[in-house]
Amino acid sequence: MAHFEIKNLTFSYPGAERKPVLDNVSLTVREGEYITVCGKSGSGKTTLLRNLKSVLAPHGKISGEILFKGQFLSEVDLRTQSSKIGYVMQNPDSQIVTDKVWHELAFGLESLGMDQKTIRLRVAEMASYFGIQGWFHRDVAELSGGQKQLLNLASIMAMQPEVLILDEPTSQLDPIAAGDFLNTVKKINLELGTTVIITEHRLEDIFHASDKVVVLEKGSIIACDSPKKVGDFLRGENNDMFTAMPAPVQIYYGVKDKLATETECPLTVREGRNWLSEIFDGREIKDSEVTEEEFGEIGVPAISVREAWFRYEKKSPDVLKGVSLGVQKGSFHAIVGGNGTGKSTLLKSVCNICKPYRGNILIDGKSIGKYKDGELFKNNLAMLPQDAQSIFVKKTVREDLLEMIEKKDDSDKEIARVSAMCDIEELLDSHPYDLSGGEQQRAALAKVLLTNPRVLLMDEPTKGMDNFFKKKFASILRALKDDGVTILMVSHDVEFCAAYTDMISMFFDGGIITTNTPNRFFCENSFYTTAANRMSRHIFKNAINNEDVTELCRRNL
Amino acid sequence: MRFDSYHPAINFIYFTTVIACTFWFNHPVFLAISFACAFAYSVKLRGIKGLVFNLCLIPLIGLYAWWYSYYNHFGVTNLRVNFAGNYITLESVAAGFAVGVAAAAGIMWFSCVFTVISSDKVVYLLGRISPKLSLFFSILLRMFPRIGRRFTKLNVSRKGIGHGAAQGRICEKILNLIKILSSLVSWTIEEFIESSVSMKNRGYSLKGRTSFSIYRFDNRDRSLVVIMFACMTVTMMAVMLDQTRMIYDPELIMYRITPVSVGFYVVYGFLLLLPGILQTMDEMKFRRNLKNTVDKM
Repeated sequence: MAHFEIKNLTFSYPGAERKPVLDNVSLTVREGEYITVCGKSGSGKTTLLRNLKSVLAPHGKISGEILFKGQFLSEVDLRTQSSKIGYVMQNPDSQIVTDKVWHELAFGLESLGMDQKTIRLRVAEMASYFGIQGWFHRDVAELSGGQKQLLNLASIMAMQPEVLILDEPTSQLDPIAAGDFLNTVKKINLELGTTVIITEHRLEDIFHASDKVVVLEKGSIIACDSPKKVGDFLRGENNDMFTAMPAPVQIYYGVKDKLATETECPLTVREGRNWLSEIFDGREIKDSEVTEEEFGEIGVPAISVREAWFRYEKKSPDVLKGVSLGVQKGSFHAIVGGNGTGKSTLLKSVCNICKPYRGNILIDGKSIGKYKDGELFKNNLAMLPQDAQSIFVKKTVREDLLEMIEKKDDSDKEIARVSAMCDIEELLDSHPYDLSGGEQQRAALAKVLLTNPRVLLMDEPTKGMDNFFKKKFASILRALKDDGVTILMVSHDVEFCAAYTDMISMFFDGGIITTNTPNRFFCENSFYTTAANRMSRHIFKNAINNEDVTELCRRNL
Repeated sequence: MRFDSYHPAINFIYFTTVIACTFWFNHPVFLAISFACAFAYSVKLRGIKGLVFNLCLIPLIGLYAWWYSYYNHFGVTNLRVNFAGNYITLESVAAGFAVGVAAAAGIMWFSCVFTVISSDKVVYLLGRISPKLSLFFSILLRMFPRIGRRFTKLNVSRKGIGHGAAQGRICEKILNLIKILSSLVSWTIEEFIESSVSMKNRGYSLKGRTSFSIYRFDNRDRSLVVIMFACMTVTMMAVMLDQTRMIYDPELIMYRITPVSVGFYVVYGFLLLLPGILQTMDEMKFRRNLKNTVDKM
């Protein structure tokens, strides 16, 4: 039986009737299916999902039909909708209501008016299934982002929904927490048979597991099929969304025309690895290395950290334990490493927000303490914070940019310059809070660039961006680099670092363990590396990007 | 093992009774009992911190009595004349001491309340009155520290571009602070909208909301209620027999202390020491059990 039947759904926001957000969308969701909805930001994913639950449906003009189990959704009563249609939202923090973990788990059940005994059992069951027992009594404020989102999922699951809808649930999580979360969703689907409808930009984790992939473009469904067929379709169309496909799919289609015999498209690293072994079976590998660009040391480093020690409170443990780091002028340097290891603290020390109690930090050869406060942040150093939203203080992006300009006479020119660079011309009159994650990140970058930094610090800039956006973002950074700006970035995004940086450092236990060029860095690692490297390391020596692997395959075929 | 392992309702009734009695009774013996018990229990709960805090309160009692007697001149027993020519009387000094001791004991009891009754117990107790009220309180409890953390975050982000609340000249500092605060307000509103959507998503607007709690009322709680109410009844008898109050104005007058009044004192003291005694008994038993287990192993 079909769980959801969407027939010719058209939706437009008030005042924009000519430009519908959803245009004639028809989709059938069968019971127990795992459906991935993907598309560029602004393609109407969230609008589609929200229309599947009446209390969340946005205001606007709607036509077409939505049926839930054969009944019009608008006629399904609130009680049934509340419990049977579970909806997990994007921001882990703001969808939590109460202050205690146990209370949050019980919240939905309280709404349904269940008695103590039933709630106690359900809550216990959920806590055990999701592994929450250990932090059952904690304040929600003490939880990490991943734990918060798991709690949100658990408190929705406590109401025993038949359909679970998730709207980019992992966009604010680090890759490890995101992977765990998506595995739990998969587990729910497999073990309980709950229907799952999910939108995600991290397709590599869910693409292979989906029964059906729906691709939205400008409000219309352009593809709705099995993952393999969708990959084939997007490649054939030369669609932008192809960049969001998992690495094995991209590599497969990159070399497909060179293959003598037709093979099945691999979806996971394991399949990709086997596929590579298969096509190179019995062949001699003539060329197993890509040439790498050396980034030579020139002159005084832009940033140099010398054995810096830092702790937040007198009695708390050290966060930085003698870190040393040198960042070459004009280079794009990335620091990778696990969660909560102190990477962000290092970045804060470099811009003088956290002051090390031992050791020294030099910016352009001059000790950071010797810069006056105003001097340091004018035409010199600037940081793009992890939460881009937190640097906006005005009602429109334009006003926010104006705030940064001291000489008001050439403000228009300056704004035009940075907005062209960051591609935000169309967003100038929007409220900063209304932008999507990627747009906010670019607007924040524009704001930061107005200080004319020679050194740009960035904390997790690619969090919540889809692959297409990342490419755009990388081209902005490249332009900056060409202007001679030094960029130091802290990131979890291994693929992004591998593709675009000059140097990568590994941060662990309060110090930098190793610094190397991306190629050498990732080839030495076997877990902490890119998917392309993991699937090709048994054949090629130093291929780390999809392009590298494609290139080497083509050369050897 | 502490008193907070009992049901929140018991904690609530107990502390309300004890604090009410402390402020209501002005009979010196009852006051002394309350003071001593509060002292002992708060030290038991809070350790050296509590001891230091309590010792600091003692000189304040004297200070209060001195101040009180300087401004109140009732009574018949003159001690001396102060610089303004007013009489300092024994009665007013005594009354000042009585109020001071009651206030100090009250403060100490409150320090115990804050240690024992956590915010979720308050939320629970409010939930007994109305589920919506308790939810509202729970939301507030989460909101205030969150706003504080958000402020720090905004400030750090703004510092990174040279616009922190402590950067620049004085007028710039003020301007920066105002900007951060205004952005804090819009963030708070935004969050409110988001969490109200999340509440609706989980059926908040449905009728017949219940209130869940993790507390259970078990037999141990029941037996404690019996003991507590027995002690309270005896204390009420003392009240009805005018044993708990005395007259300070115009003359110090109180009822004779009889063997029955001694009985009242004992029961009142027992009531006030009850949480401390229970905790100590549990701890002793625990230690004995631990020792036995270790010996056997």
